[in-house]
Amino acid sequence: MFIANYGVYIALVVLLLAATVLTPKLYDVNTIAVVMRQASQLGIVAIGQTMILLVAGLDLSVGGIFIMTSIVVADFTNGRDELVIPAILIALALGALVGLGNGVLVTKRRVPPFVATLGMLVLVKGATQAYTKGIPGGFVPEVLGLVNQSWFVLSVPLLLWLGLNAFFMFVLRRTAYGRKVYAVGSNIEAARLSGISVDAVRISVYILGSCLAVVSGVVLTGYVGYVDRFIGTGLELDSIAAAIVGGTAFVGGRGGLLGTIAGVLLIQLLSTMAVLMGLDIEVQFIIKGLVILGAVTLYSVASIEE
Amino acid sequence: MSEYILEMLNISKSFAGVQALRDVSIRCKPGRVCGLVGENGAGKSTLMKILAGAYKADAGEIIYKGERREGASAGEVIDSGISIIYQELALVPQMSVADNIFLGREPRHALGMLNLKELHQGAAELLKRLGISLDTRLPVRELTVAQRQLVEIAKALSQNADLIVMDEPSAILAGSELDQLFSIIESLVEQGVTIIYISHRLDEVFRIADEVTVLKDGELVDTRPVDQLDRATLVELMVGRPLAEIFPQTEHEQGELLLVAENISTETILEDASLELYAGEILGIAGMVGSGRTELARALFGADPLTSGEITLVGAKSARWSNPAQAIASGLVLVPEDRKSHGLFTSLSVRINVTLPILSFLTRFGVLQSPLENKIVAEAQERLSIVMASADQEAQYLSGGNQQKVVLAKWLETDPAVVILDEPTRGVDVGAKFEIYKLMRQLNDRGIAIVMISSELPEVIGMSDRILVMNDGRIVGEVAQEEATEAGIIELATMADAGAEPS
Repeated sequence: MFIANYGVYIALVVLLLAATVLTPKLYDVNTIAVVMRQASQLGIVAIGQTMILLVAGLDLSVGGIFIMTSIVVADFTNGRDELVIPAILIALALGALVGLGNGVLVTKRRVPPFVATLGMLVLVKGATQAYTKGIPGGFVPEVLGLVNQSWFVLSVPLLLWLGLNAFFMFVLRRTAYGRKVYAVGSNIEAARLSGISVDAVRISVYILGSCLAVVSGVVLTGYVGYVDRFIGTGLELDSIAAAIVGGTAFVGGRGGLLGTIAGVLLIQLLSTMAVLMGLDIEVQFIIKGLVILGAVTLYSVASIEE
Repeated sequence: MSEYILEMLNISKSFAGVQALRDVSIRCKPGRVCGLVGENGAGKSTLMKILAGAYKADAGEIIYKGERREGASAGEVIDSGISIIYQELALVPQMSVADNIFLGREPRHALGMLNLKELHQGAAELLKRLGISLDTRLPVRELTVAQRQLVEIAKALSQNADLIVMDEPSAILAGSELDQLFSIIESLVEQGVTIIYISHRLDEVFRIADEVTVLKDGELVDTRPVDQLDRATLVELMVGRPLAEIFPQTEHEQGELLLVAENISTETILEDASLELYAGEILGIAGMVGSGRTELARALFGADPLTSGEITLVGAKSARWSNPAQAIASGLVLVPEDRKSHGLFTSLSVRINVTLPILSFLTRFGVLQSPLENKIVAEAQERLSIVMASADQEAQYLSGGNQQKVVLAKWLETDPAVVILDEPTRGVDVGAKFEIYKLMRQLNDRGIAIVMISSELPEVIGMSDRILVMNDGRIVGEVAQEEATEAGIIELATMADAGAEPS
């Protein structure tokens, strides 16, 4: 189906053409660099979100993981550069634990992913607030400011995003594990009867998703430069939207990272263009909502026609 | 006014070129029980769905209560006094008995609020009319299957049904529950209600029906009063066609003992089943739908955990297993009955479908070796003559026969010792059927043992070396191919309470 396969790319091209008239300022090296850096933060989370959607799951808990990551990095290092690596490892370990929790709830306890990860989101946010008593302390090490470096449009976050995309595209397309991810999402009973440990695959994908959220959280923390209780708010929904707009099916088994990249760029461009046009934040949300609904409606029409 | 309450005349219906019903007529007199029998796929359900307004007939007419019916919707059909109770009961488990009976037609107060008192009184009266006592406040999920069926009947009565169609009501009932159902049917008939009773259990038809209509391959065979029929004649009418000449035969001797299952039971209906399987043979499993055939296949494959008994692969590759992954590693494969929901990955490419169970063989350090995979997929396509645009085509776009070949190809790549086929030719056209039979013989020649479950008796008899007959979760008999007749197998498979006798 043409729309289902290429719709998001067409929308992207249309948006870029519209920008030449509406917001010519977009075509400035610095603006593009900013767009790409912000897209990278969203994009790294969206890689994990896409893989979770591929196994017919969903992860709302990533929002909690950003905050947790930010606090762990600032609190543990308290500004000391030499402790950045251990801090990131601790954040990854905690993130993996959250992902494991999500995965176990969804597979072993058969909790619907929406409910399991929503509960986990509240739990993680609550735990971070209990730990900080509401006032996060510590300082972000200077070395993390590296993420703000850019050469023309290239930046550390962008390179990281592209690198992770290349890696996970390879995993999804060319490895046995990737095949199993698609198989589990496409038909879980058939996958089980084919000898695949479906629970292990699903749990592993949730863990990967949480760890990618930690990576994005580190980048975001370096970008912001201080600890923020509300860091990354909205990225969980944007990452789901990016994957869905990019053609990954909500019911699993169909889609991939190429579409998600386009979805991420589409959502990021919409935000940036709205800012450049001086639109109010409310209007931005309305436009974003309309685009998501439009895309999803198109896919539904396309799949009904099949 | 006609003497019939319902006449369906010269009904024809086809789906995507397949003729499901051809010129079928059935007539029912008021206050009688009309039996409707036939093998699976004979067209019984299609005919009743046309009556229900769910399908539209391509040709023919329906005359109900003396009036010709024109394109009625499902709701209009119910309003006209026809209720259909399907095998898969349509109740809301969380809601109460009374809520279910009056679902969508709840009595209300003037302001639109539910009149709970009237709701429960009304439900209690209907249940009383059926001669059963049941708390109308109980949620339906707490009822037994038999009780749920009674709720469905009460619901039909609440809709003032004059004609109730029961689609294989006994498939889910045990002995005493069946007696209760029959006494309710008798009292309904006394109250002037007409019943169309669909079944393939012949005992029941003789016990309850006044006359029987037999369908076969979408055509009407005959309608006769029950007292002018005997069992043998009815069986003859149902299955009496010459064995099609499409089953390839090969000369082979029984091989070595390969697999032994001893007294296996699972949490399903399957109870105390034992069997032996020899290399290079086809063991047919016959029995009615719901007799435990699929459950036996799943138990052999480790898909349902055993609650008792054991299964062993004997000989050179002796092994045991307790889940599908281990079973596959031990050399067993299962091609499941429900291709779309249990066998095929419809949203994925043919390539991914075919190589999924052998990924470990195709990968080095987890990375797929593409040239090797391409070669294997090409060979599989060649060997099974799978018709597809390319290996990257999504499986959902293939025809039923080609989908089945993809599922078979996937399992043959694992080089199995035992292949379990559950309804291998369902929904498959005649040409593809023949190819599947040929393939089964080729597997036999390679020493592979096949367990084949099928509802098509000609197929079971035509292909199997030995046939096990299941009834009510148990294996009730074994028949050798030379001695097998359709009548004999149906007799074993439908004998009431056969499962309770020591086997």
